[in-house]
Amino acid sequence: MDNPLVQPDPGLFIWTIVTFLVLLGLLAKFAWRPLLQALESRQERIRKSLEDAERARQELERLQQDSAKMMQQARMEAESIVTQTRVDAERLREELKQKAKDEADNILRNAQQQIQLQTRQAIQQIRREVADIAVLLASKLLERNIAKEDNARLIDDTLKQIEMTKQ
Amino acid sequence: MLLTSLLALALIQEPAPAQLGAAEAAQAHERFNAGETIIEHVSNNHQHPLIELPRVLGIDFSVTKHVFMLWFVAALVFLIVTFSVRRYLRQDRLVPSGFMNGLEAVVEFVRDDIAQPNVGRKWVMTWTPLILTLFFFILSANAIGLIPIFDTLAVLDRLVLHTTPDSFLNRLTHGGTTATANFNVTAALASITFVSIIIAGSKAHGFLQHWKNMVPHGLHPLIYVILIPIEVIGMFVRPFALTMRLAANMTGGHIAILAILSFVFLFTELFGRAIAGIGVGMIVSVPLAVGISALEIIVVLVQAYVFTLLSSVFIGMAIHIHH
Repeated sequence: MDNPLVQPDPGLFIWTIVTFLVLLGLLAKFAWRPLLQALESRQERIRKSLEDAERARQELERLQQDSAKMMQQARMEAESIVTQTRVDAERLREELKQKAKDEADNILRNAQQQIQLQTRQAIQQIRREVADIAVLLASKLLERNIAKEDNARLIDDTLKQIEMTKQ
Repeated sequence: MLLTSLLALALIQEPAPAQLGAAEAAQAHERFNAGETIIEHVSNNHQHPLIELPRVLGIDFSVTKHVFMLWFVAALVFLIVTFSVRRYLRQDRLVPSGFMNGLEAVVEFVRDDIAQPNVGRKWVMTWTPLILTLFFFILSANAIGLIPIFDTLAVLDRLVLHTTPDSFLNRLTHGGTTATANFNVTAALASITFVSIIIAGSKAHGFLQHWKNMVPHGLHPLIYVILIPIEVIGMFVRPFALTMRLAANMTGGHIAILAILSFVFLFTELFGRAIAGIGVGMIVSVPLAVGISALEIIVVLVQAYVFTLLSSVFIGMAIHIHH
């Protein structure tokens, strides 16, 4: 084979294998393995940080929903408190009004009873006095009924006497 | 690209001592032999080894141009890759920048699109370094053949330095630049793949089981009589195909470019005038050579990709048995 293109060259063959294996060993040790590991770990880190971001987003969404719910609840509570308070106030007012009215009624009734009682007592007293006067007058009249004309004077005298005793 | 072609143009008549401008003088001196010149530019320089070494067991271990190119490429790849990776890994936050951006993209491409689909998730860390090294080594060896470093050196030597024909520089300018155009080199690389296939199978299934896996079990004994030879042949055909595909593709493009550029000198000789050669060069050769060089860039990439892809496919086939 004189064509140099197809000339077997065992020396070159062996040199190629040696060169390649040395290059493979050096590159694998100093470049490929560290690089592949770094790429792997970076990929892992990116994946993790994406997951973290997704989780954080979901968390945020949940929190937002929670806070919205809480707001809603608070608003409802406040509303119910206001309503309740209004109802309570109304009731209290009603109660107070009722109480005041009752008290006023009581006072009025007491006063009336008092008045009636006193009126009755007064009437009784008047009656008694009138009776006394009548008895007195009668006795006086009986003493002087001879002189009819003196009756009027007698009554006057008696009334004067009563008045004087009263004074 | 144009520079490549023009430099090749200036050097294609290397056997002839005269310059392009003095083509007529060269004619009297020595006739231009296109075939010889082309062969000289793509083959190894056995006649002028860079470092002559004694034969060991009948094997010539001399450092020829292609051995030198292997070392040159290996050193280049190692330095560039290691430097970039080391600088990248030194940062506390892994943000690739500059060259590392591209390197990382290629590494991830090789890992995710060449290695992993074939060898599988489990073995990806085991085989990716080999596949990456194959890819970068072959790609760089292919690509460096497109850059006329040594042709530039030859021009410098011829015009400025005037070193003796026996000088190291002069020896360096002899022979083809593309080591992967030499089938001895590609055969060695294919042997690496061949051995890797066996190692991959043995690691995944055990040494004996790897050989048993080559044929499906449980068939009629007579079928094995046919099947076993076929599988054994196939085992050797695969690396042989890898060898020939890469070497032939790398040689072919260079030969095409050189053949087109040798029109310049053929026409100069034919018409006895330099102007004829230059005219043909300007109108036909250089544009065509530029086009083929552009094509070569694709071939360089594709062949590096194909070699690595097929290597990982074969390794994957030894790991995942499908019958």
